[in-house]
Amino acid sequence: MTESLFTPAGEAATAGVTIANLAKSYGSHLVLDDISVTVRPGGVTALIGPSGSGKSTLLRCVNLLETPDAGTITVGSRTVHAGKKISERDLLALRRQVGMVFQSFNLFPNLSVLQNVVLPQRKVLGRGREEAEARALALLDRVGLKDKAHQHPQRCSGGQQQRIAIVRALALEPRAMLFDEPTSALDPEVGVEVLAVMRELAHDGMTMIVVTHEMQFARDVSDHLVVMADGKIIEEGDPAAIMAEPAQERTRRFLSAVLER
Amino acid sequence: MAEALSAVLIGLPLTLLVTAAAFAIGAVGGIPLVLGLRSRHTPVRLVFRFAVDLLRGVPTIVWLFLLYFGLAVGDYRLDSLGAAILGLGVVASAYLAEMYRGGFAVVPKGQREAAQALGLGRTTTFLRVLAPQALRTALPSVTTYLLMLLKDSSLASTVGVLEMTAQATAFSRQNVGTAGLTPFFVAAGVYIAISVPLAIAARVLDARLSRSL
Repeated sequence: MTESLFTPAGEAATAGVTIANLAKSYGSHLVLDDISVTVRPGGVTALIGPSGSGKSTLLRCVNLLETPDAGTITVGSRTVHAGKKISERDLLALRRQVGMVFQSFNLFPNLSVLQNVVLPQRKVLGRGREEAEARALALLDRVGLKDKAHQHPQRCSGGQQQRIAIVRALALEPRAMLFDEPTSALDPEVGVEVLAVMRELAHDGMTMIVVTHEMQFARDVSDHLVVMADGKIIEEGDPAAIMAEPAQERTRRFLSAVLER
Repeated sequence: MAEALSAVLIGLPLTLLVTAAAFAIGAVGGIPLVLGLRSRHTPVRLVFRFAVDLLRGVPTIVWLFLLYFGLAVGDYRLDSLGAAILGLGVVASAYLAEMYRGGFAVVPKGQREAAQALGLGRTTTFLRVLAPQALRTALPSVTTYLLMLLKDSSLASTVGVLEMTAQATAFSRQNVGTAGLTPFFVAAGVYIAISVPLAIAARVLDARLSRSL
C-alpha cells in the first residue's frame, strides 16, 4: 500500500473517543443508563446487543444526532457536556471530527455521486471545486467506484451506495467514524464489499465505533466488544474472548440467537 | 366564427398576464408560508396554519371582490387588474405552500440526519438537500395548479379585467341574434389550446426528471 487516502495525515490524525456517564431517557423510559465507553485512537469498538438495547442511540449521541441528558462526550481534545445548552458552533465543531455511516446510506438523491462527495467538502471545509473533486475521485477510485462519479446514486446498488456514503464521510477527513448497522440493509454478498472497505479503514488506523450484527467482523476487526441490553453495558472486553466465553447469561442468549440465524 | 375568434383573442394577453403574474406571486409567496408552516416554534406554526387555512377557506371570487371593492389605503385603490392578480396570487400562495409542505413531508428523515452528521449548516441543508427533493415531489401538483390558475384567471372578468372570458361575454352581448354561444365555444377552444400542450410539457418534464433521478 502506497499512501493512505483513508486516514488524514499530520495534525489531523485519528482521535480517541471517550463517552463518560452518558444518560438519556424518552419520557420515563431510560434508553441509556450511565454508559461509559473509551475507544483509543485508532481503536475499533463493536457495539452489539438486541434491538432496543440502546446501541444505536448511544452511537447517535456521539455526534449529537441525539441529545443526551447527562454525561460527556470527548472526541480528540473536544469535550461536550450534556445537559447544558450546546452552541451551534460547538455542535458543528464536534460533527466535523466525526463521520457517520447509516444503515439506509442516506445519499442525497438530487445530487450526482460526485456532488454528494464534493458538496460537503466545499461547505464544511471550504475547499475549492478542483481540490474537492480531486479528493472525491481519488477516494471513489479507492473503493472501486470512480466510474460511477457522474451517475445518480439511485442507479447504484446498495453496496455501492454504502461505499459512496463511506467515501462522502471520509472526504471530510474525520478523526473518528461511526457506523450504524452499515450492512443490515444489504444482501450478505453485497455487504461483504462494504465490510472490506471498513476492514481496510480499520487497518489504516481509523478510530471506529460500529453497531453491527456481523459477528465475524466484530471478532476479526474490532479490538473491543461492548454488549448492551436495556440501556446498559452488560459486558465488554476482548471480542474473541467474549464470543467464546460470555460471562453473562444475557450475552450468551443474544450471541446464540445471532449465530443461529 | 372568425369575428368571435378575433374578439376573444384580444383578451388572450390579459389572460396570460393574469395567469403568469398570479402564479409567480403564488410560487414565491408560498416559500415564506411553507417555512412558517414548518417552523420549529409552535406559535409561529399555528399563525401560519391559520393564515393558510383562511386564504384557502374563502372562495377566490370573494377574495377578488374584497380586494377590488374593499381594499383602500388612503386614496389608493387597486385597479381591476391589480386586484385580480393579487387575489389569485395570494390564494395560489396558500395552495402552493401546502404542495411544498407535502413535498417536504416525504423527504426521508435520514436526509436531514445525514446532512447534520456531515456538518452541513441549516441553510445549506435546506437549499441543497431538502428543498430540491421537496420541489421534485411537489412538481406534478404545482403544474396542475398552474393549469387550474389559467382557467381561474377567467374570474378576473368579474372585477372588470377584459381577458378572454370577458371578451367572449361582450361579443355575445353585442351580437345577441347571430352569435349566441359561439364566442364561448371559441374561448373554450383557446383555453384548451393552451392548457393541453402545457399539460403535456409538464408530463414530459416530470418523466425526464424521474429518469435522471
